[in-house]
Amino acid sequence: MSEHFGGRAGGDGGSRQRTRVRLIRQGIAWVVLALAALGACGSPADVTGIADLPEASTSSVVESIRRAGLPAVVNVWASWCGPCRSEAPLLAAAAGDFESSVSFIGLNVRDSQPDAKGFIAEFLATAPIDHVFDKDGSVVADLGGTTGVPLTFFMNPDGSVAKIHFGVIDERTLALEVDELLRAAG
Amino acid sequence: MEFTLLFAAAFAVGGGALALRWEAARGNAADCAGDLWEIFLTAAFAGLAFGRLAAMVGSGVNPLTSPGDILIIRGGVATGPAVVAALATMTILGRREMPAVADALAVAALAALGGWHFGCLARAACLGTPTDLPWAMTQPGSTVGRHPVELYAAGLYLIAAVALAQYRKQRPSPGMAGSLALLVAAAGRLVTEPLRPSLGGGPVWWYAVGIGAGVGGVVWARRARSSRA
Repeated sequence: MSEHFGGRAGGDGGSRQRTRVRLIRQGIAWVVLALAALGACGSPADVTGIADLPEASTSSVVESIRRAGLPAVVNVWASWCGPCRSEAPLLAAAAGDFESSVSFIGLNVRDSQPDAKGFIAEFLATAPIDHVFDKDGSVVADLGGTTGVPLTFFMNPDGSVAKIHFGVIDERTLALEVDELLRAAG
Repeated sequence: MEFTLLFAAAFAVGGGALALRWEAARGNAADCAGDLWEIFLTAAFAGLAFGRLAAMVGSGVNPLTSPGDILIIRGGVATGPAVVAALATMTILGRREMPAVADALAVAALAALGGWHFGCLARAACLGTPTDLPWAMTQPGSTVGRHPVELYAAGLYLIAAVALAQYRKQRPSPGMAGSLALLVAAAGRLVTEPLRPSLGGGPVWWYAVGIGAGVGGVVWARRARSSRA
């Protein structure tokens, strides 16, 4: 390999170095895998003060967006969804930043009330996000989404869907799509 | 899981590999005995892993209670810790000949960065702040023209990689090429950052630290040559 890439790792020294490199790489991989194998060992979050999520229908979600008269970010999540945890802090921060100009709605799907409340308590307790409960995922399907979570709808103030982002959302994508929504809304 | 990020990673590794081969063929490769490919891959792997852990901790997600999230790279990789981890790994692996290893990997590192940013085409994530410039690009369904900021960054890094490869033919002092690569890598991010959409509070100070470290390395390399002369 080194002949093709410029280094001159040969003889005993080269062999020792290759062994060291592999050991380090394997070490990093084992640390990551060991963390992944630990499983959820933390204590459950305190859900005191968090009300049951209201049942949602497609019309109730669209109507709430129209009533607010603001563009909306509708994030579809579930407590059993690992990637949803990953993006939750970003959505919480964005909801705070755009509280006066964009509505943030959390659409919990195919979940149970206790688990959903536990997730909110752990990751979204103080975020200005209105969470609703879509037990069978019918709202997501009606809006044009898929069964995979997370996904995020970017919606115009009239309740129409402007864009759907499938999968985990990152800061730049969220910032870009919110900017597009705000510009379209004038 | 956002699998399209893997395309960007493939572009990055491919860019680095091509640069290493190109440099080797030009007889402009290493004054070192290290296996550059192994060091390059291991440093990249370490940077990705530790950058991801740092991003999780920084956003309030505990890697011990949410261990599976470590693998969700799209959830964020902290640039600063990732670079520090990659540089630390490179230092450990090439500790007996650090300046030579850094120089030998400098062009490949810039080419890899160029490939990474060029990978935005596969992710549909090239666009930045709005502009009226003639080369502005729009999102599907939108009328807002935007800077293709990631393509700017890709072009900048690829041009810098070629320029640095040319410069290395002049046999600069040990450590100079590596320091220049660090300087360019950080400066490239710093100058393109205002064109990226952001929710505020980007890691700009990390880029300033990188520029400072690069300048420090350049000064050290010049002094080292002067003291030898």
